Amino acid sequence: MSALAETGSPARELSAIVGEQNVAASDSSVAINGAFPALTVFPGSAEEVAAVLAFANTRGLVVAPAGGFTKQDIGGIPEQVDILLRTERLGGIQKYDPGDLTVSVSAGTPFAEVQRTLGEHHQWLPYDAANLERATVGGCVATAASGPLRHAFGGLRDFCIGVQFATADGKMGKGGGMVVKNVAGYDLMKLMTGSYGTLAVITRANFKVFPRPRQTRTFLCNFASLDETLRFRAKILASPLQPICLEILSPRTQDYLNDPQPARDPDDYAPAQPVSLASKIWQIALRATGSDTILARYKRELAGDASRELDGAAEEQFWRRISQFEYTILTRHQNAMVLYTHLPISGVGTVAQAVERIASDYNFIPAVLGRAATGNLIAAFMPLSVDPPSAMQYANCVSAFRGLLPTGAAAEVAHCPKEAKPHFDVWGTTPTDITMMKAVKKAIDPNNILNRGRFIV
Amino acid sequence: MEASVLRQLKKIAGNGAVLDRPEELMMYEYDAGVDKSRPGAVVFAQNTRQVSEIMRLAWQKKIPVVPRGAGTGLSGGAIARKEAIVLSLARMNKILEIDVANQRAVVQPGVVNLEVSNATAKYGYFYAPDPSSQKACTIGGNVSENSGGPHTLALGVTVNHVTGLEVVLPEGRVIRLGGKAQDSTGLDLTGFFVGSEGTMGVVTEITVKLTRLPEHVTTLLGIYNTIEDAANTVVAITQSGITPAALEMLDGWMVRCVEANVHAGYPEDAAAVLLIELEGMREAVEEQAEAVSAVCMQQKAREVRRARDEKQRQLLWLGRKTAFGAVGRVSPSYYTQDGVIPRTKVPYTLAEIERISKHYGLIIGNVFHAGDGNLHPLILFDARDPVQKENSKKAAKEIMACCLNFGGSITGEHGVGMEKMNLMPAMFTEDDLEIMVRLRNAFNPESILNPQKMIPDLRYCREITGPLPKAKVEPAPGVRV
Amino acid sequence: MSSAGAFEPHVHIPDLKPVTPDDRPTWELLSTCVHCGLCLNHCPTYKTLGMEMDSPRGRIYQILQVNEGQMEMGEAFVTHIDRCLGCVACETACPSGVKYGRIVERARSQIEQKYPRPWLQKKLRDLFYRRVIPNFGTLSFVARLARFYQRSGLQTLARKTGITKLLGMSNVEALAPQIDSEFFFSEIGKTFPALGERRGKVAFLAGCINNVAFSHLNRATINVLTQNGIEVHVPAGQGCCGALHAHAGYRKEARELARNNIRVFLSGDYDAIITNAAGCGSNMKEYDDLLEHDPEYLEQARKFAAKTKDVTEYLAGMGVRAPKKRINRKVAYQDPCHLANAQRIKSQPRELLSAIGCELVELPHQDQCCGSAGVYNVSQNELSMKILDAKMDDVQSVSSDIVATANVGCMIQLRAGMQQRGMNTPVRHVMELMEEAYS
Repeated sequence: MSALAETGSPARELSAIVGEQNVAASDSSVAINGAFPALTVFPGSAEEVAAVLAFANTRGLVVAPAGGFTKQDIGGIPEQVDILLRTERLGGIQKYDPGDLTVSVSAGTPFAEVQRTLGEHHQWLPYDAANLERATVGGCVATAASGPLRHAFGGLRDFCIGVQFATADGKMGKGGGMVVKNVAGYDLMKLMTGSYGTLAVITRANFKVFPRPRQTRTFLCNFASLDETLRFRAKILASPLQPICLEILSPRTQDYLNDPQPARDPDDYAPAQPVSLASKIWQIALRATGSDTILARYKRELAGDASRELDGAAEEQFWRRISQFEYTILTRHQNAMVLYTHLPISGVGTVAQAVERIASDYNFIPAVLGRAATGNLIAAFMPLSVDPPSAMQYANCVSAFRGLLPTGAAAEVAHCPKEAKPHFDVWGTTPTDITMMKAVKKAIDPNNILNRGRFIV
Repeated sequence: MEASVLRQLKKIAGNGAVLDRPEELMMYEYDAGVDKSRPGAVVFAQNTRQVSEIMRLAWQKKIPVVPRGAGTGLSGGAIARKEAIVLSLARMNKILEIDVANQRAVVQPGVVNLEVSNATAKYGYFYAPDPSSQKACTIGGNVSENSGGPHTLALGVTVNHVTGLEVVLPEGRVIRLGGKAQDSTGLDLTGFFVGSEGTMGVVTEITVKLTRLPEHVTTLLGIYNTIEDAANTVVAITQSGITPAALEMLDGWMVRCVEANVHAGYPEDAAAVLLIELEGMREAVEEQAEAVSAVCMQQKAREVRRARDEKQRQLLWLGRKTAFGAVGRVSPSYYTQDGVIPRTKVPYTLAEIERISKHYGLIIGNVFHAGDGNLHPLILFDARDPVQKENSKKAAKEIMACCLNFGGSITGEHGVGMEKMNLMPAMFTEDDLEIMVRLRNAFNPESILNPQKMIPDLRYCREITGPLPKAKVEPAPGVRV
Repeated sequence: MSSAGAFEPHVHIPDLKPVTPDDRPTWELLSTCVHCGLCLNHCPTYKTLGMEMDSPRGRIYQILQVNEGQMEMGEAFVTHIDRCLGCVACETACPSGVKYGRIVERARSQIEQKYPRPWLQKKLRDLFYRRVIPNFGTLSFVARLARFYQRSGLQTLARKTGITKLLGMSNVEALAPQIDSEFFFSEIGKTFPALGERRGKVAFLAGCINNVAFSHLNRATINVLTQNGIEVHVPAGQGCCGALHAHAGYRKEARELARNNIRVFLSGDYDAIITNAAGCGSNMKEYDDLLEHDPEYLEQARKFAAKTKDVTEYLAGMGVRAPKKRINRKVAYQDPCHLANAQRIKSQPRELLSAIGCELVELPHQDQCCGSAGVYNVSQNELSMKILDAKMDDVQSVSSDIVATANVGCMIQLRAGMQQRGMNTPVRHVMELMEEAYS
């Protein structure tokens, strides 16, 4: 416990801003990589967010913004967290005009709620990251999380048309607006997307929405080797087909897309029985949309490759599980390590292979899943239960894996046991100039009160 | 410009790469828009090293620098205020790499937009953003302005197609933002930089995405007897769930203007036409073409024609792409607007523009990206007539007010630059603008680069934010709500 | 909005000068340019030099400034106007329909009237435009001199001893056409009867340089026409068309030549007036512009312009007879600017080549000039060679057996390009290939 709660003064002052009932002492359920914020505040408006930040800024208190608390484990161990700023009272769809295909949502709204509202008008945001029942709009924008639909529709950055936020010194700012094309002012939507709450607290975001596909179908294509899988990918990319998802699944991945089952008997993974025992089948899942005629064409063109077709509820479930993949792993293997890769797309094969190789070198079980044609892969390393790895082993594994990445590629460690984090750089390298990133951060949060020590800047 | 500065510029870039005679500088005082301002010198850089050395020199001497591509911008972004040095990147015009395997091209900033598509067509790819000036404008300029174009409706604007940049900062430091990967760890400075109008750094290399050429493309021409029907069709198509590759509108006056120029095949007696392009898989295009035609007919189109072949399709587009220039045949001067409105407000806004046109007795032609609500009313006037000139300004102001009252924007793709700088306070609060200035200063702390552009001096904000005229929001007769 | 800066259209207003008979570019011509810049990348000099002054938009702006007295008609202005090839590729790109060719010709006329060129340059230009070209007697004499130089061994001597190089003339000298042993002057005044059924009756303009250096091309053209049932007259008294003069700013001289040709060619009852030189054709089609202030001739000039046809345009328009043999070769056709850009004749030569069995290969950047542009390759040799370089890159980027074109200037330039690159792809006029097919 920091001195904060004991003296009572910050709590009192925060109460004056947001109301007494909206300030609470934190409990262990909101630990961020082991760090406990002393106080949790629940501001009810953008103005209150700004006021909380202004207060924290003058006192030099470190603030961690939080939405649905689904991704707080991502990133480094915080140097200090004094105030946890929850956005759950900033809820609700503020403006939705189905005719204009635009929507404006307060940051604390769970993403699934937005989708349900849009769904009433047969519209959607083509967005399917994990945990959307809990994950909030603000959190999704801040972490730039994405799902399989990224293949055809891009990330949130590509359809976020406006953003409102409060800066560290308590100013309310905005970028963009409610129109789908707009170049007035700097593109703060791009800057805020993926800034992990280090620049400002997002209070509201506007999106352009899309008509929801009337029907979709999923084709599962199995291949005996990675090479064959990549050849198939090349064929699809060169074809006129325009799937909305194109996922690559490594052999082990399929285990995590089945019905939930009790965790495997650890002995299954005894070192005596090498990890490749289960399956050698690589898979590509291709999701198509269109009329019956169009789906018939997919069926025709994929005739030699697709081994299974999914539609209806089974299809929905399949894709939900794909989206949930890394969290399924984390549920089953508490000490698993998950990395996100950023690759030029020709590197997908090399990287998938590297995961398999490095994992066996460091006593992990590998699973890879991701966007085969955008280079956003999720690489999971599950520890062998019989021989749990040391913290250093995680570090060595990450460094060996990064060593095998092709030019222009990078990998950040999204999830891993917090004990391992001090032993390596969670974020890794980036092609983007880090000095410039720091200058941007400094320009907008000079006292570094937002998420100090957790992000790359 | 000081002689010693000129000497050093010549030392850096070569004797033939520096202009300082008044008759030469005069040639860099304009772009394709309305503003003019003469630079103190012009220097042509040939590589990143030279750009860096030029910036370092300017930084030391505190001389402002304005980067420039082809000078086809419409908002004065590449015009030098304060006798700045114009840094022309027109000679850095090489396509450095076409990386088909990664669906990327790496180009220098002076490469002409269309050249990228021309160079990649043989691999089955193209560069998607297609501003109307694409045969002349440069990728560097596109990055600075975050340029759009007709086909950005489905495919997105420049920022959606740039993954990596090499940038020279004002003090001469060369930095990289992003690369060939779709995204990268850390802040998305690549996305943030695009559209910064030359106020953050000089782009010296760009990695762009290449898009697969569609299997099938078809273009429909919806012909209307009233402008309201055409506007209502735009709303109806958007709501029908089809996103055309492009959805453009020309009013009757523009149609006749364009026909006089290129004989694109638009009927001259129409009150408005819609140019609708559909692309993708053959089956999808066919289905959408039928669906769109049906919507057009429901909305009282007189007729829907479909381009018979590629030649006719190109001709229909030629008409659209040359529309601005075609106005030059008719009127010695025109003033292009670039307002954006929510798509459902297209009918009201057009009715309002018509009212404004009648009120001031000025012809206002409309040719615009209807699909994303990006209007380009062209106010025609004769600059030799002071009354007309004055009225054109008033009309422009009323149109802008109308866009803003509908929750729109002052610019959809032409940029703020010099031209719309003083309108920024009508869209953004002082705090919004101050945050933007702070962010800009992180890159360009002393405003050496492109000073007095995009964001007005905050001290004057309050003085220039007079009230905009109140726009009429009641729909005109015949406009469906 | 008290300060209306954002809405201040800074359009400069030139004074409305009356339409002048001294060939001033008029406000009507200049004001069509909205400086959108779409022309830039179509201009070979802008592409090569990358400077606004050497772009069509920039030149129009300079002309406007000079016209208004905002800029002096000095060395800089003359340099940039001189550098224009007159290829009018910009006109094909211009959405506003700016008549750039007319503007720049008028600007050049102003320069010739008002700007004091260096003494030697002035004398040489006058000699060339006023004495040699318009006067077939003098032209014949000069050609004989040149032929003597080429054949007597003097040329070889000059080249071997390095005198040409010493004088900085090697590039230019390489561009001189090979003078014919038999000039075409002897054919002027003759009539060539149609073979087979007569399908038309035309008058043929023999040109100037063609008479002394491309007489075989003129004969080939007549041959192809007669083989296709056309009766060809080469009216006596005809002279140079005046294209070189008009492009160089010698509009007074150009008008004299135009009037003479109008008198000669309209005196007979011809279906068309035929030329095989793109530059001549485009100029002849503009006689009405040249003589717009000459009420006596204007009506006839319009008639003359309407009757003028490029030989490819005429033949393709009426359809050709089946050739005697097919030329089964891969041919890359290089569009002459004054045919493709100025007269918008692009498909016709291609149709003719296809008709004789050639397989067409399309070059990239078809609207781009080869750098020949009349006498440009001599007067602006260095720049011309750079432009040629870009063209040769395009030529090398495709594989073809033959490069065909439809203008002698382009032929000379492309041949020089081939020589520079050590290529031996033949450069032929469409009419030469057709003659081969019909003989």
